[in-house]
Amino acid sequence: MFIDWQDKLKRIGNRVVLFDIPIAMHCHHYNINLHKMLEDSLGLEGVRLIYNAAEESNHTAFKIMLEEYPLIRSDKSKLEFAASIYQHCGLGVINFQDVGPNGGRIISPSSHHVTGWLAKHGLRKTPGCHFTRGWIAGALEAIYDLPVGYFEVREMNCKMMRDPVCEFDVRLKGGRHGD
Amino acid sequence: MAIDSLKIMRAIMEGSKIRDEKGIIPLFGVYLSLYFTSYYNIVSFDFLSRMGKRRAEEAEKLLIGAAQECGYSTFHGIRQSWEWEELVQPMLETVDDQIEGFLAVATAFGWGGEIEVIDLIPGNRLHFRVHESYESAGYLKRLGIAEVGKCYMLRGVAAAFMDLLYGDAYPDGCFTFSAIEPFCRAKGDTFCEFIAEKSST
Ligand SMILES: [Zn+2]
Ligand SMILES: [Zn+2]
Repeated sequence: MFIDWQDKLKRIGNRVVLFDIPIAMHCHHYNINLHKMLEDSLGLEGVRLIYNAAEESNHTAFKIMLEEYPLIRSDKSKLEFAASIYQHCGLGVINFQDVGPNGGRIISPSSHHVTGWLAKHGLRKTPGCHFTRGWIAGALEAIYDLPVGYFEVREMNCKMMRDPVCEFDVRLKGGRHGD
Repeated sequence: MAIDSLKIMRAIMEGSKIRDEKGIIPLFGVYLSLYFTSYYNIVSFDFLSRMGKRRAEEAEKLLIGAAQECGYSTFHGIRQSWEWEELVQPMLETVDDQIEGFLAVATAFGWGGEIEVIDLIPGNRLHFRVHESYESAGYLKRLGIAEVGKCYMLRGVAAAFMDLLYGDAYPDGCFTFSAIEPFCRAKGDTFCEFIAEKSST
């Protein structure tokens, strides 16, 4: 799939946009500071806030981006597109091979948040990719034309805990796989 | 010599596309990500509302602090990077010009569009104007008119710029300065303005 990034990522007036959606570039210091601030101040509620924010913003953005690319029709090519966005935004590598509208498993062998967290705070005792969980939920809900909150994404293994990859389990909210 | 922010911007856009097999963007000595401003706005403004009125001051302080510490480390990394040396350093005539370089990077990062320095008193005070901060745009869209300034990230960053230039040598100078936002688009003002001065505490 060919995407002209030079054309899609640009400055229009006072905004920097990707597919005409405003974006900001931030470094791992800021992203991880926000993550830690939310966990330290609000505990599980803060974790949920990161997840929900990523889910909502990604769902909205993917709806817009997929509308702009009507040629990306099949679910497989939409998932490829999502992985490509993740990679081009510097968020990492994500592998959607084993997922569908009923849920499934997703692997991420590297990510901005893992690299950033390890650089700033070292290993964790609990999984830490709350942003990526929400990002996955929002992207899949947009791809399968489902509402926000349809999926629940949990992280089973995390590189922040020295696991070899981050592994995510996607289920329909309520706990079961759809199949 | 004026700082050519377009040149920096082009380099960032180019740099953003250099992604190794890990999907990570190492640039200016940090790992960079590009993501929708709506995410950052939901995080900041939902955080403020979850912290409630009782913890509002603490929440604002945390948001500003998160950005100030980040701005301090990031822009320290930025000015030590080869990209800065190659692209920006040749455009700088004095130490104070570094502020122009920092602001040009902020524009290229999508933080607020055009940014103008109104006043810089070396060692004492930095006053600049931001035309369209993403925080103010996001607040207006999500929550309407605010009673106080809402650009916490830029407040932290404004102070961090002064910390880097006129605070103790890195890494001891962070939080030497603090910034206020007397005007903010989220309050209905035409621009956002930031004034960083020595912290009183
Ligand atoms: Zn993880
Ligand atoms: Zn403002």
